[in-house]
Amino acid sequence: MALAAAIGLLAGIAWAGTGYRYQPYADAPAAQSGKVPSRDRELRQLVSRLDRRSRDLAARLKATAPRGVYIVIDQTQNRLYLKRDDDTLLEARCSAGSGMVLKESVGKKREWVFDTPRGRFEVLSMLRNPTWAKPDWAFVEEGQPIPKNPADRLETGSLGEYALYFGNGYMIHGTLYERLLGRAVSHGCIRVGRDDLRQVWANTRIGTRIFIY
Amino acid sequence: MRTCLAAIALGAAGLAAATCSKHEAAPTPSNLRAQAARFQRVGSLLQRQIELANGKEFYLVLDPGAPDLTLMLSGAELQRYPVIGLQVGEPRVTWITRRGPRRWQDVVWSRGELDPPRQIDRLVVQAAPPGKDAAEPETPPVPPTPEEMYPVPSRYQVRFDEGWSIEVRPLDVDEQAGRAARFRAWWSAKWHDVVAAVFRRDRDAVRLRIALSPKDAASLYRSLPPAVRLVILSQARPPAPARTPRPSPAPTPTPTAGKDRG
Repeated sequence: MALAAAIGLLAGIAWAGTGYRYQPYADAPAAQSGKVPSRDRELRQLVSRLDRRSRDLAARLKATAPRGVYIVIDQTQNRLYLKRDDDTLLEARCSAGSGMVLKESVGKKREWVFDTPRGRFEVLSMLRNPTWAKPDWAFVEEGQPIPKNPADRLETGSLGEYALYFGNGYMIHGTLYERLLGRAVSHGCIRVGRDDLRQVWANTRIGTRIFIY
Repeated sequence: MRTCLAAIALGAAGLAAATCSKHEAAPTPSNLRAQAARFQRVGSLLQRQIELANGKEFYLVLDPGAPDLTLMLSGAELQRYPVIGLQVGEPRVTWITRRGPRRWQDVVWSRGELDPPRQIDRLVVQAAPPGKDAAEPETPPVPPTPEEMYPVPSRYQVRFDEGWSIEVRPLDVDEQAGRAARFRAWWSAKWHDVVAAVFRRDRDAVRLRIALSPKDAASLYRSLPPAVRLVILSQARPPAPARTPRPSPAPTPTPTAGKDRG
């Protein structure tokens, strides 16, 4: 009985001392790497050289940050942020790609995945009252035959007042379905409400950077 | 991130100011050596951040001095999460702590992935064959909100290739939940910690436990891109600068035109 109690006690102590030990975060001490000069003068020169190097690197790092206005899109939470340097000029609900997979049942049996790409892009062209040249998947999705005449693909009004094209068929544009903003419903483009889109348009130029995550 | 940059620049300048004042007060060789070591650390941190900013991958910047965690891409701050608590965890078995590698603060952590992973349920639609008398397409149901689509666990980790991890804990588990919920959370955490410490020596050799507000923790879980990297800045904030760093030349924008494909 006493033995069992002792074993139980030891097991309890071992259990209590197993897992993770957490401590407040602290920097590791800075260690000198490389050859350290022994003479005072050389040591001063080394410090001065390292100082200059740090300044140069700080300037280079600063230069990597985007300047002026840029657009940040959180595609999971369907939010668009218009930023200028440290300031957020606009936070808007948007609709990113639904992630849906569309399979063609006849013909080439193609497959489309409606994802919004992640990464860094830039505005390549800006269109006022854009006309949408509907791609094949739009007809497949509606169960319509794919037209042979390119003019039959054109549709006006569905992209809203403005479109900012950022490559590979992707755009930031308006929508007819503002009630769905904040939900992932698009075919990969970024849909924005009318008033927010006007503000984005007013602050954007060709070359404005777009960051999508 | 500009705050981070400014802090680093101020740090560099502050160190320079300290150097100047030390010049006047005839610093000892040991002081000079310490300064050189600090400069080297600042330099290598800056170098790592430049490399990350010039890459194409998403990265997290943990600034223990601020303290905050910032999601970045190409030098742009995408989202900043204020850190409420930051601790370092090391595994231990029967009270014997297994020390992690010493250099984990001095390297970039790579390919971080969520654990448990964020599940994406893709809707697969088989298109109806085209026809003249094709029926009107049915109105698709209203899709769920991100909050409905991605439930956030009370405790999750971002695991990196090096075998190190970040553990994110929303504060509500500790403070707002009832006793029973807190006990369950504690027991679950303890159980997972014991298993990790005893059986999974290749994982979690170093674990950074970060407390975020529930809203930020949920936002980070829902938005974290795959294969994210992590750099940890220095905690120390040197004294205020006497000089500002030299301004860098503005990059010339190179707009690409004429590639619009509609």
